[in-house]
Amino acid sequence: MADRAQTNGFSIIGKPLAMADAVSKVTGIGKYADDLSVPGMLIGKILHSPYPHARIRSIDTSRAEALNGVKAVATGQDAPNPYGILPIGHDERVFAVDKARYIGDNVAAVAATTAEIAEQALDLLRVDYERLPAWFDPEESMKAESDWIHEERAHNIEKEYHHVFGDPDQGFAQADFVAEERYYAGEVNHAAMEPHSTLAIWEPHERLTVHSSTQVPFYLHRTIAEVCEMPMSQIRVIKPLIGSGFGGKSEIIPLEIAACVLAKKSRKPVKITYTREEVFLAHRGRPITIVYLKVGITRAGKIAAVQARVVQDGGAYCGYGPVTVLYSGALLGAIYDIANVRYDGFRVLTNKPACGAMRGHGTVNVRFAFESILDQLSHQAGLDPLEVRRRNLLKAPCITANSLRVTSYGLPECIEKVFERSNWKGKKGKLPYGKGIGVACSHYVSGAANPIVRSNMPHTTVYIKIDRDSAVTVYTGASEIGQGSDTMQIQIAAEVLGVCTERIKLVGADTELTPVDLGSYSSRVTFMAGNACLNAAKDMRDQLFAAVAKKLGCSPSDLVAKNDRVSHVSDPAKSVSFDEAVAIALEFHGALVGRGTYAPPEAARGGKFRGAGVGPSPAYSYSAQVAEVTVDPETGHLHVDKVVAAHDCGKALNPLTVEGQIEGSVYMGFGQALQEDMIWKDGRLMNPSLLEYRIPGTKENPDIESIIVESVDPEGPFGAKEAGEGSLAATIPAIANAVYDAVGVRINSVPITPEKILEALRAKEKALATSKPPPEKSSAPGMAR
Amino acid sequence: MSLPAFRVLQPRTVDEACRMLAEHGAEAMVIAGGTDVIPNLQMKLFAPHVLVDIKLLRELSQIEFSPRGGLRIGATASLTHVLETPWLAEEFPVLSSAVATIAGPLQRNMGTIGGNLCLETRCRWYNQSYFWRQSLGGCLKKEGDVCHVAPGGKFCWAAWSGDSAPAFLALEAEIEIASVSGARRVPLRDFYKNDGKDRISLTRNELLTSVHVPARMAGRRGVYHKLRVRDSIDYPLAGVAVAMEVDASGICRDARVALSAVNPAPLLVRGAGEMLVGQKWSRELAERVAHAAIQTGKPLTTSASTPIYRRDIVRVFTRRALEEVWKNGQASS
Amino acid sequence: MNKGIVHLRINGEEREIAIAPNRLLLDALREDLGLTGSKRGCDDSSCGCCAVLINGVPMLSCVALAASYENCDITTVEGLGGPSDLDPVQEGYAEMGGAQCGYCTPGFMIATKALLDRNPNPTMEEIREALSGNLCRCTGYMQIYESVKYALEKRRAISAAAASGVRAPVVR
Repeated sequence: MADRAQTNGFSIIGKPLAMADAVSKVTGIGKYADDLSVPGMLIGKILHSPYPHARIRSIDTSRAEALNGVKAVATGQDAPNPYGILPIGHDERVFAVDKARYIGDNVAAVAATTAEIAEQALDLLRVDYERLPAWFDPEESMKAESDWIHEERAHNIEKEYHHVFGDPDQGFAQADFVAEERYYAGEVNHAAMEPHSTLAIWEPHERLTVHSSTQVPFYLHRTIAEVCEMPMSQIRVIKPLIGSGFGGKSEIIPLEIAACVLAKKSRKPVKITYTREEVFLAHRGRPITIVYLKVGITRAGKIAAVQARVVQDGGAYCGYGPVTVLYSGALLGAIYDIANVRYDGFRVLTNKPACGAMRGHGTVNVRFAFESILDQLSHQAGLDPLEVRRRNLLKAPCITANSLRVTSYGLPECIEKVFERSNWKGKKGKLPYGKGIGVACSHYVSGAANPIVRSNMPHTTVYIKIDRDSAVTVYTGASEIGQGSDTMQIQIAAEVLGVCTERIKLVGADTELTPVDLGSYSSRVTFMAGNACLNAAKDMRDQLFAAVAKKLGCSPSDLVAKNDRVSHVSDPAKSVSFDEAVAIALEFHGALVGRGTYAPPEAARGGKFRGAGVGPSPAYSYSAQVAEVTVDPETGHLHVDKVVAAHDCGKALNPLTVEGQIEGSVYMGFGQALQEDMIWKDGRLMNPSLLEYRIPGTKENPDIESIIVESVDPEGPFGAKEAGEGSLAATIPAIANAVYDAVGVRINSVPITPEKILEALRAKEKALATSKPPPEKSSAPGMAR
Repeated sequence: MSLPAFRVLQPRTVDEACRMLAEHGAEAMVIAGGTDVIPNLQMKLFAPHVLVDIKLLRELSQIEFSPRGGLRIGATASLTHVLETPWLAEEFPVLSSAVATIAGPLQRNMGTIGGNLCLETRCRWYNQSYFWRQSLGGCLKKEGDVCHVAPGGKFCWAAWSGDSAPAFLALEAEIEIASVSGARRVPLRDFYKNDGKDRISLTRNELLTSVHVPARMAGRRGVYHKLRVRDSIDYPLAGVAVAMEVDASGICRDARVALSAVNPAPLLVRGAGEMLVGQKWSRELAERVAHAAIQTGKPLTTSASTPIYRRDIVRVFTRRALEEVWKNGQASS
Repeated sequence: MNKGIVHLRINGEEREIAIAPNRLLLDALREDLGLTGSKRGCDDSSCGCCAVLINGVPMLSCVALAASYENCDITTVEGLGGPSDLDPVQEGYAEMGGAQCGYCTPGFMIATKALLDRNPNPTMEEIREALSGNLCRCTGYMQIYESVKYALEKRRAISAAAASGVRAPVVR
């Protein structure tokens, strides 16, 4: 069980609270997209390209259209407008118009009265392809002189960024120990348990209502309008319950647009639900990442300079790609006090499904590299790796070398907590051969300070309505995807208005009913929607207080709202119930609507260099973790016995859900560290299933001890920052470092499979037998055993 | 992922089942728990017109033991039923230890012993969706003429991926097969053909009805070691079963070692028994048997794990399993 | 394909549905009976989201042909309890964070219910084993274990109260 912080006199904030939608989930009443059906609904199926790179000469739809029960067939010609999640790189079309660019690319779709007929119709579509040479390896793809995946992207490079902060060359000159390594991270998928699903309903008056499994209903709204060439005012997007996203639903996924195109064409409701294989083909997960990393430290353990060249295998479309590669650079060094950083980042196109944002977007694989090399350097320098992290801490508030503004910094406390709870002192270097302990740190943004589409509009808006029934209704665009954001907003509104949570109702993420929120990504919701909700609730409270103060003959500043009453702070006789307060306020104001918005302050928006827009956040979360492992040196089998994870979330508005987020992050990091890997052969995904893409189950999953650290951010709602992503990145290097402690080999490639461990152990044995051991290994304390 | 159109026949007796199979022959498939058959049908690996659902054949759901007849497990006994029969774990530990590793509890509640002994062989170029295989152009086992595991070859290497079969092999089990022309008993070792494309000696009008273990195998020490990534759900990447009789002085009186997931059939390790009988435990002997095991086990790239690694593991698991059973359940070093 | 009439006892009620022989129980529940609580998460019987109790035993409805379970007793998540009469298992998953996104939750609750019905006092190892056919992508399983513990304590309290003739106390 986890460590929970104090509640500091709040009524609701800081107390563990069951999620507001928990009962609808545990009874099966709540509806996810695929649970919805309407009379006359057609089932849509998508035809995918069997080739990784092929020109489409023609598509013959006639036989499919003639099949009884087929109501619409759509191809690229039906919706040729390009789109993409960023303002740049609009290179996707719902169905390929000129070329198919990966096995699984979307070529056409069919809507029919049953799934069986739709599947039969797909078999009747005849596509004439001209096969083209294809690119699968990012470092090879970068060298391509012809057959570029998108003609306008020379050498298949989607984007490259080159940043220098401070003077890295001078830094390396001052370093006493320098290490240079190549790290490799395999590709991973979100594997949310709910496969994507969209129901698009063609309505009277040329309107379209879309229920979709999305983390970004408002971007979906905009994109449907662009592709279907309809005014946004004719489209309504509703987010039902979401079976989690982890970033996999934070872009526009082809089925979402395909369902709309088919609905518009057939003038009927159309539902498309992906198979699990299609989920993998739609992908948008964490890319294969190759990191060439060089770091130097001084004898005292101070990081002197960092240099990284990062190549990301982005797949066939841009998606969030430029953001991913910028996050990798921005977050690489900013966790510690590092003056000198050189970063060269490349986002490369290949003929594989597009990568995108996945939990810990951009930071996870570079953190694995960085925390691993720091461990290696600590051993080279004869220093305790945990102590080395202590010696490189920032002193908040501050601005990092790459212009990120740090307002609160709980990393020191995170490190001390895991130091104590793991018994680091008693274990590091003292465990028997085969047992090991490792430490690593990570951090993450609490939302992006700069919106994806630059504007001066708020990032999020919340309305609160109260009427004669005295119910408080929160209208929020924020997308609850299982992380508890609805509950978080209910708690904030209840705390400010001094009412019990049962009085609060929440209407969320419906473009017709709720104001705009940019979506559930970049861990932005608690900070941004939380602040907007806080502002709306304060606005509402001010209106109530103004009316009640007049009635009671006092000043509004004398009033407090608590326990479903509005009362004079020092005169108990002056008190009305919340219901009475509402009636008084309705008589006074006529209508009661509280409004709140949030936009990050100018000071949080970062530097001015090219690419400086990604990385800045109004606040950063911090994590430190210690992993304990057991390695079987004969089989290479790795078992993670325990992970102690401390996370600085600013203020845990709801400790129950914060712990759930920390533990879920550690779990996902564990999966990537040991067993999750999308295996490719010539652009073909060999394991597109939950049987072969092995997300962890109960038996091998480690015990996780979560510890909440509260640094109370000056700008966060009640001091809160993000909790949903930041912990993931520390888990992987903590495990890798523990493997080194256990058996003395460094695995610089994830997943850390038994094969890799065994291979490394044999290589080490061979090296020891034939020559002098390399210096790093000889100085390692683990080697004495 | 819709299912093909088929009729479901539910026989009430084995005779009726045999008549149905005789009548529908090539276009029929047998289904019991469904955990293997249904996903395969969804992938369109088969398109039977008739499914003969033998779930209701109560006569095949029994697990019984008699000193004369030995152990008999009916084909439709669920894997959970096997695990929850306490005397089985006492008397036939290799079997319980193997069945406990099959998939997860939900799958074991449905999956049957008969189904597990008749599993389809598995290969990563084969157990894929219709779309996936179409994009590949098929393989030797299905819809094509190229083996992607051993290109140029004309042999299908799809791996036997069941866990109970090696345990039964180590126990010298026989199976009973019924058809309209009567019942026949065959040694389990003769049932498997070591051909990924044509895995078992069972014609389309025959039904595996039960598996039998000789009474003399009762009380025999044994254990099954399974290589997998997750500690549940996964099919084996390699498996080693050992059953052994050890006398009071620690001398091996009889022993068998069997492998799974490294060949198109579950196979007994050639020569293992001869090497072990009459011997006392020694690590050197165990290493020799382990070496024999990797002469029998020929893993290829049918799964995500590499053949080299799986061979290494077969060797280590064989030695460890021998040590464990010889030292009577004590943990191996 | 010709449809046939299949009789099932779903959550205690006799139901009769006309379905094709190749109809999976999961689809029959979700599409023919409107019981969408059971979910589809995979296509190869590996995730457990579709688990239901068939004659008290947790099974995967995604690989069960509905017609094969004629006259069987089937309990889905909807049959565990409604919003005002939650089963202790449902209460546990709601209160202790076992349900985050909620998509795997019906399957986990079915497996939990089956476990506690057979073994009211499971060890941690038995809990892990019983839930090892279900996958959850949100929780990291720790709060699922807390949810199971909540449920078993609540059940214990209820049976203790029943034995002494008093109303069940609230656990938390």
